[in-house]
Amino acid sequence: MTAVIQAVINGTMMGAMYGLTALGLTLIFGVMKVVNFAHGSLLMVGMFTAYWLIKLTGIHPYLSLLVVPPLLFFFGYYMQNLLIKPVFKAEQQVREPLTVIIVTTGVWYVLDNLALMLFGAEYRTVKTSITGTSFSMGEFIVSIPKLSGFVVSVATAVGLWLFMVKTRTGKALQATSLDREAANLMGIDQYRIYNLAFGIGTAIAGIAGCVIMPFYYVYPSVGVVFDIRAFIIVVLGGLGSIHGAMLGGVIIGLIESVFSQFMPSTWTEAIIYAVFLVILFVKPSGFFGKKQDW
Amino acid sequence: MSYASIGKRLLGLAAIGLLTAGLSGPAFAQKTIKIGNVEPLSGPSASVGVQGKQAREMAVEEINKNGGIKSLGGAKLELIYADSKSDPTVGVTETERLINTEKVQLMTGCWNSAVTYPATQVAERYGVPFVVPVAVRDTITERGFKYVFRIAAKDSWWVRDQFRFLKDMQDETGVKLKTMALVFENGDWGTGFAEKWRALAKKDGYELVLDEPYPSTASDLTPVVTKLKSANPDVVMLVSNAADAILITNTMAEMKVKPKVTVASGGGHADPKFLENAGKNALFMFDEVEWNTDVNKPGAKETNAAFKAKYGYDLTGESVDAYVAMYVIADALERAASTDPEKVRAALAATKLSTGPAMIASYDSIEFDESGQNKNAGIVIVQVAEVNGQLDRVTVWPKGARRAGYTPVFPANK
Repeated sequence: MTAVIQAVINGTMMGAMYGLTALGLTLIFGVMKVVNFAHGSLLMVGMFTAYWLIKLTGIHPYLSLLVVPPLLFFFGYYMQNLLIKPVFKAEQQVREPLTVIIVTTGVWYVLDNLALMLFGAEYRTVKTSITGTSFSMGEFIVSIPKLSGFVVSVATAVGLWLFMVKTRTGKALQATSLDREAANLMGIDQYRIYNLAFGIGTAIAGIAGCVIMPFYYVYPSVGVVFDIRAFIIVVLGGLGSIHGAMLGGVIIGLIESVFSQFMPSTWTEAIIYAVFLVILFVKPSGFFGKKQDW
Repeated sequence: MSYASIGKRLLGLAAIGLLTAGLSGPAFAQKTIKIGNVEPLSGPSASVGVQGKQAREMAVEEINKNGGIKSLGGAKLELIYADSKSDPTVGVTETERLINTEKVQLMTGCWNSAVTYPATQVAERYGVPFVVPVAVRDTITERGFKYVFRIAAKDSWWVRDQFRFLKDMQDETGVKLKTMALVFENGDWGTGFAEKWRALAKKDGYELVLDEPYPSTASDLTPVVTKLKSANPDVVMLVSNAADAILITNTMAEMKVKPKVTVASGGGHADPKFLENAGKNALFMFDEVEWNTDVNKPGAKETNAAFKAKYGYDLTGESVDAYVAMYVIADALERAASTDPEKVRAALAATKLSTGPAMIASYDSIEFDESGQNKNAGIVIVQVAEVNGQLDRVTVWPKGARRAGYTPVFPANK
């Protein structure tokens, strides 16, 4: 029983971070109806930026949270503006633009290989003062890097949600997500909103990079490890839904950690996919997806 | 048509004739011998792949600088790389490409057993000699192949020595170890080890309390470590690649899992990055390797110093095997005095290398048995310890090879 509770603690913390990696993906999809295959690569860019920042300046890993997300915001903002917008414009009449998917796939390959050229294939970790530290709560042990990651993940999700419902810009994002033509007619600059959505989505990938760095390692194709999971989470929680992404993440984290207490951990991957298929069958729109939308 | 243009044409024809004659004639004897090398240069095992690549490059540089293959008119060795990404399918297609397109005369690689196994099969089919420095799965040399030769010990020998070590240390210290946990990466290498561990654990009377494979690319190993904590074994046996070795060690420290004895199996734990990133969390863990920087062999210190000066880190057992493999190839080519695969194969099979730069290896000589396995490949066990305030890997077993003045910490946690 102790092991199961311990597994629930770990699974929840890890799951929130999986949710965080999926948050940017779901935001971009919600607003633009674009599946961003470069999301994992953007996470990788975030991790490398955090890595070099921590390595070169020796700052505390969580201070990188002040620098990396803004940098990544501009990266995403201009990436959308320069690379994706032209293609998007050409496919204006299509509801779910297909060529854009290919563009994001191209960005994925270019970024991964660029990182390979620049940094080589070796994995890198930052040894920080918090690596491998934990505190005890009765008989349970809580890892400090993961607890911090959990707190940041939840804060980010809450922040994003508040931004979406409270601010004018957030409402404009929502309006564009509901009907881009109507939003256009109401004076919302559709492409500026897309730039913003992409920028925010990328910035969140940067936040994820910063909280993962203290306990994981980075290498050019690290995105793939989190990417596939993020896609499952987004579909599970409902495309475009913020709390769906967080809940989906925690579910995946719990499955992974609790199930592996009863079977070889190599099986949990299969269980995750099985649960995913079952939920798709029972509720194809995911937990918080709106049916009429797709 | 003017005479001038006919003249030009004739001149052109003559030139072509001369060129072809020159290329095919003996006057243009081959100046380089191409060696195909499939390694994991990206992906999770990339760092070992790159280490092997650098060790090979250093050996080839030395060989070429010393006059190349003298019996072939000073022919130079040339390494042609392909990235397997640790993926068997990629390994196979790259081996095909190296043999068919690049026309390599020999093959070497591929570090991952899972890649080496099918890649050697391709080379065997084409009759291209394949020198495997390290890929430890037994069956690589147990298929009756003619062209496959392995320098390193195979995994049944590795496992056998891990249990001999455990027994010897228990006899030496009087500590009794009863329960054992097996934790291993889910590839060919890990599952191969685990199979043999189970048999030997049963034979030596250990009670298995955990038998846990995990995927090398897992995003979180806390679930595995949680299981380890509740199993609470005396001994933990590990097979890990580089990234997961760090992850598992740091997670064990986080979760305060302290087995009496931890025995790793080289690979990720022997990677120079491991100690750099796991730091004191790795203290007193044992690791099985083929070679250690303090090994008492002529030239070992100098070669390691040269390597460190060039690339900034120490040689490992695996890079030493890669280094040695180049000398084994050079030696065979020298004796074969030909690049004909049949003759190179025969020369490799007759290898008896016991002198020269290759002998920085921990074993005394290299000789292949009829299956292509180096009969003399040997293993040492090291312990991570703090020496003069610095983390170091100290040779502790076999007892004859133990670093003078060092007493192993056994058990590590009481």
